[in-house]
Amino acid sequence: MSKENYDFPDKDGRFGEFGGKYVSETLISALDELEHTYKKVIEDKSFLEEVKNDLETFVGRPSPLYFAQRWTENLGGAKIYLKREDLNHTGAHKINNTVGQVLLAKKMGKKRIIAETGAGQHGVATAAVAARHGLECIIFMGEEDIERQSPNVYRMKLLGATVCAVDSGTKTLKDAMNEAMRDWVTNVDDTHYIIGSVAGPHPYPQIVRDFNSIVGIELKDQSRELFGRYPDKIIACVGGGSNAMGIFYPFLKDNSVDLIGVEAGGSGVESGKHAAPLSDGSVGVLHGMKTYLMQDQEGQILSTHSVSAGLDYPGVGPEHSYLKDTGRVVYEAATDEEALDSFHDLTKTEGIMPALETAHALAFAKKIAPGLDNEEIIVINLSGRGDKDMANVAKVEGLTL
Amino acid sequence: MSIIEKVFQNLKKENKKALITYSIAGDPNLESSEKIIRNFISEGVDIIEVGIPFSDPMAEGPSIQLGHERALKNNISLLSIMQMCLKIKNDHPNTPLVLMGYMNNFLSLKENLFDELKNNKIDGLIIVDLPYVESEEFLKKLNDKGVDLIRLISPTTTEERIAKILASSSGYLYYISLKGVTGSELKISNELENRVSEIKKQTKLPIVVGFGIKDAETARKMSFCSDGVVVGSKLVDEIGKFEPKKENILNQNLTSIISELKHGIS
Repeated sequence: MSKENYDFPDKDGRFGEFGGKYVSETLISALDELEHTYKKVIEDKSFLEEVKNDLETFVGRPSPLYFAQRWTENLGGAKIYLKREDLNHTGAHKINNTVGQVLLAKKMGKKRIIAETGAGQHGVATAAVAARHGLECIIFMGEEDIERQSPNVYRMKLLGATVCAVDSGTKTLKDAMNEAMRDWVTNVDDTHYIIGSVAGPHPYPQIVRDFNSIVGIELKDQSRELFGRYPDKIIACVGGGSNAMGIFYPFLKDNSVDLIGVEAGGSGVESGKHAAPLSDGSVGVLHGMKTYLMQDQEGQILSTHSVSAGLDYPGVGPEHSYLKDTGRVVYEAATDEEALDSFHDLTKTEGIMPALETAHALAFAKKIAPGLDNEEIIVINLSGRGDKDMANVAKVEGLTL
Repeated sequence: MSIIEKVFQNLKKENKKALITYSIAGDPNLESSEKIIRNFISEGVDIIEVGIPFSDPMAEGPSIQLGHERALKNNISLLSIMQMCLKIKNDHPNTPLVLMGYMNNFLSLKENLFDELKNNKIDGLIIVDLPYVESEEFLKKLNDKGVDLIRLISPTTTEERIAKILASSSGYLYYISLKGVTGSELKISNELENRVSEIKKQTKLPIVVGFGIKDAETARKMSFCSDGVVVGSKLVDEIGKFEPKKENILNQNLTSIISELKHGIS
């Protein structure tokens, strides 16, 4: 890959062979409108100023770069820093995207906002911006996820959103996305669908990446100031892949920086019970995009398994598929057990309780840090806080709260 | 001339409209779905759309979603569906069989797809999530094998796009009657009729209307402005009531739905 000329998606919304717009005909005009509006507003200084202002005053950006000193000492190798997206308003990186997309929705004159959610973080981040702008908000969430993320369900309701339980298919994130698409096709005139990951049909992978890339942009400034150089390695968890894309994207052309995405290995990639399409999937089409998927030989999408609802998705953003094939980003997997282990480690040694999604990135750092020189710097995108996962962690460990 | 063209030509001569059914292969099981299709043909259905079950049927309403779920429990393959079609085709060479489904299932056969379609005498494909911009290469390979790619046009398709879609279409055009999923409540309006009439002026291809047609009345009104109607959810709902020992009753009920619809469009 000629990294200097990285300019994706192309005019057809593709990242190499990946991406595209595989949707029913009824949605094409809405996607075209979104693409057109987006192209216009990213050239519009007042729009960008409005996004910037909301990121500062509503979200609380910039998020700090924190040195995990005790954890670094315990692991005895590379220095570990955390990009603290958990400190954002609503507790995760997801709000970076919803703040931007809700302003886009208003530009298009849409009165109604819909979104899918897995862990509930994107649902909460959507409900919060909808409340702030006085827009109707419907969140689609799989029944299984509603059960394992109940605090977030109530949070969305408090924010005035309607939470629709989805009981079709596997009752998780992918089915919530199917249902959101069905709603969108029905209410396409007055509704904007805020997709929460770098997934779905073009232009969503681009829009969600761009709004999240504030994370990587800040990290560039912070690391220059703090270390006088860029980190050696950046690690992020990958479900659909928005937090990873957000922190990776500004570094794609900086070849000295190793970029590592960590998928949900569930019970282990070799067990087949996981949610790691980049590690163990094949190319197909789902939710409007061509990308790596977990599927059987007939092209039926497989059920996924992960302790973290936010990573429990059989696909991945098309840009990640492209970056995997070109080798610019390396993709690994961490198991449920490794993630839980790191969840406890960070909570006990640093006083920071990470989301279970994020814990997958921590688990991989834990694996490699001890073998690295102590001059090396690893930055982990601490994509979300773990309060929402307490009941789930307790349940996995046989406790009741 | 393709079999699809012949069907519409004959209907036109008799001043009739096409009745097109949609049912899902493998629902309630592959053997019964074959009987259901054979029954449709003997009741005078003009074109058969064979639904390919998918784990994530995003464009479908509740009725057809349930049908897909029922069919998937039988673990049937796309190849076995095509083989079923060939058996039917051998007995009814003049009835077009069109596979309707989602891109990922068709991709699963990779490059073999095109030969298999030809060898199993499939007349056309409708791929719900393959809009025209993504289909160039795929279309060429299909047309090389004499298989039509039936295009969908919706109430939100712009004039500019319609022209492009028409330029690369064959077989017939499928006009989606409403903004929504299959089986939604259809409100018949002048706007809908005008739009179909407008498209008709731009093409020689037959236009059929689908989504939300569930009785003689909706079928009749939609057939006025078009060359035919597609009925799906209504049939799939009925198939959902299947009981193993009462297959005859199911087919009797389906027969009466078909004759009601045929009456509606005649």
